[in-house]
Amino acid sequence: MNSNVKDRQESDRVAPKGIFSAVFSRPEIGPIGVMLLLFGMLGYFSIPAAEATWNPFAGEGFNALGIRNNLRVISQLGIISLGAGLLIIAGEFDLSIGSMIGFAGACMAMTLRWGFSIVIPYVSFDGGVHIEFLTLLHIDNVSPLGAIMITLCFTLFFGWIQGFIVVKSGLPSFIVTLGGLFFLRGLTEVSLRAFNHRADQAAGSTTVTNIPDIKNIIQLPGYGELEREAAKSLPESDLLAIFQTIPAETVAIISERLTYTYERVASAKTGIMEAKGVKPLERALENAIESGNENMVATIRDKIATFNIDPVTPKSLTDLDIVRSYIDSIPTINQVANFFGGDILEPLFSWLYYPIDWNVNNFGNQFAPGLYSCVMIWVILSFVCYIVLSRTQAGNWIYSTGGNLNAAKANGVPTDKVKVSLFVFSALCATIFAACQVFEVNTSDAAKGNLKELEAIAAAVIGGLVMTGGFGTVVGIIVGTFIFGVAREAFFYIPGIDGSFYRVFLGLVIISSALLNENIRKRIMGNI
Amino acid sequence: MRIYANELWVIFKMGKMENQPLIATENLVKKFGAFTALNGVSMEIFPGEVHALLGDNGAGKSTLIKTLSGVHPATSGRIIVEGREVQFNSPRDASNTGIGTVYQDLALNALTSVTRNFFLGRELVFGKGAFGLLKMKEMHEIAVAEMSKIGINISDPEQAVGTMSGGQRQTLAIARAIYFGAKVLILDEPTSALGQRQQMEVLKTIRRVQQLGNIAIILITHNEIHARLVADRFTFLSLGEVIGRGLSKDLEGDDIKRLMAGGAEIGDLAKELAI
Repeated sequence: MNSNVKDRQESDRVAPKGIFSAVFSRPEIGPIGVMLLLFGMLGYFSIPAAEATWNPFAGEGFNALGIRNNLRVISQLGIISLGAGLLIIAGEFDLSIGSMIGFAGACMAMTLRWGFSIVIPYVSFDGGVHIEFLTLLHIDNVSPLGAIMITLCFTLFFGWIQGFIVVKSGLPSFIVTLGGLFFLRGLTEVSLRAFNHRADQAAGSTTVTNIPDIKNIIQLPGYGELEREAAKSLPESDLLAIFQTIPAETVAIISERLTYTYERVASAKTGIMEAKGVKPLERALENAIESGNENMVATIRDKIATFNIDPVTPKSLTDLDIVRSYIDSIPTINQVANFFGGDILEPLFSWLYYPIDWNVNNFGNQFAPGLYSCVMIWVILSFVCYIVLSRTQAGNWIYSTGGNLNAAKANGVPTDKVKVSLFVFSALCATIFAACQVFEVNTSDAAKGNLKELEAIAAAVIGGLVMTGGFGTVVGIIVGTFIFGVAREAFFYIPGIDGSFYRVFLGLVIISSALLNENIRKRIMGNI
Repeated sequence: MRIYANELWVIFKMGKMENQPLIATENLVKKFGAFTALNGVSMEIFPGEVHALLGDNGAGKSTLIKTLSGVHPATSGRIIVEGREVQFNSPRDASNTGIGTVYQDLALNALTSVTRNFFLGRELVFGKGAFGLLKMKEMHEIAVAEMSKIGINISDPEQAVGTMSGGQRQTLAIARAIYFGAKVLILDEPTSALGQRQQMEVLKTIRRVQQLGNIAIILITHNEIHARLVADRFTFLSLGEVIGRGLSKDLEGDDIKRLMAGGAEIGDLAKELAI
């Protein structure tokens, strides 16, 4: 038995893993379990009490609109969690993400609304000492792309400078970005109030509204560029003139669809009216049974059995309806705004309505038009981050910068560059988040993004990242984001429970994840 | 019998090798302000040899290797690599010249895999720039092959370095330095803080590197027994100066002890302790 002791190697003590244990020793397995549990809870509790079904897609959590709204919240958080997460893996923090979102949104909104100027203030002595402004450059009507680029110049610069200070001074990034948090939020409020006030008012507002709905601007032959809603409310004669220009096959497709919609709406209406008519009878029947009046019971039973309502006749299809539907289907001319604030997968959701008949609300109309575009951006960004972190040289540098800074430096890894780049990337993610919000709702507010930095860090921790760095995966960050995003919805639907319990739950999840992650890290470091 | 073979090996090499040292220092002086850390150190290191650098704490060993590996520039004196005088302004310069230093902390990231550590900072990628995709398969193969060359078979190149033994980590760091072109390998107390068996593993690794024949090893150690087991040549430092040197075969056991203690008589110490 001891004869081969000399040939034994240290590595032989590491037992080869089976598929089962390989899967279950992945650090993501715990969070994935919690995520699935939350999905189950959301699906189960969001089913209305009246419906006796186990199909989770029947409930409000996973019907078309539920998916659309939940995925929006999750993917917006997901975008900034990626930025925060990669930075945590490299061993640093960014607390300025939330303020950066507010700043970027305000910057974008102001540029879209009032244009962009480069102004030099100087002291003038004409008629008393006062400050005058010399305008070097002014651009009115900045395009969405231009507004994003201008905003990026500022946000990426702020990200860079925070990284630069952290790297050069050796200060904890916690303090430096805490400064950034206050600085940027303050700067946002100050500049909004300075620009955004009417001549007759002393104090400005910190909200920018009245930005045109850029993602819905279309090109209509003969009318130029106009918003979809404006096009739909053109005079009827104009609309009918447009009708003449629509190709015959398009008319056929639209009218088939609209006919279906009107029939579906009519049958839904009939159903609702029937329910309305039968309900009082059923109540009366219960009363009659209680009172023991057998004649009455028989009469009411008879009435319910023969209860009948004339089916609602579907609305008749007019040329105007076809034109308005056609205007809805014209693609936007502003792809950039649509990319950030528009919808995706519209054909799929349209198909799910007709002919699939799933994406339908109580009144028979199509429920969700599609998913928010930020979902797509999150998916793209996640994929890019996954490739970079786990398959490229840069990824190895990020891991080693966070895992053992001195080792990385000794092996020639440009650790300072890695860190600064990730601060810039974090700022980029915040800017993307802001762009999604601004182009979606066409307003901006200085308070936007408040506390988002903490949510992003929490999602990253839940997903298996360790605060000291060097540990974690993009898949983990994504799972953590799902947990954070779904928890609120799932708890909202639990009957008889205060909605704020989701915070209690998340608090516990964060602490237990942090403990678990630290345990795994120590096991890998060989300290256990 | 084994020591006899070792001596034959040394003699064989001495006869065969050209007499040009791979790396040599001449009157190397390093001052930190008023403090003279190195006061004119000259030494020669030959390829295929293990050169033990011994001395008590504060003898200047660390300063000497830091000067050789480019961490500190020398105040005066010369460093000659393969017959040419060199100037090191950074550790990068030194490693480009072929001087690989394996520090005590080994410069490994315990949280990532063997392969990722082996190629850390010098990854093989498709395409150019930091965003080039890693050639993971090729890197795995090289890492496994290079480590088995000096005696460690790792079963899984994806294994996290943190789960490896101290001896295996040493081997990884040494294999990495050799693969990336180190002709002179500076090992800073490689056996300290290791268990008995792992110490032997490291010494075996050193012996295998020695047998490759073209690499010179500077071994810094406090352990006289380890030095005797693998070293071909000794240099003793005390208070920044060389106080003795010689080939392994020429030195008696007591000489080594005495010189390691900076010239103090261990015998005296034994007497003192006996009181």
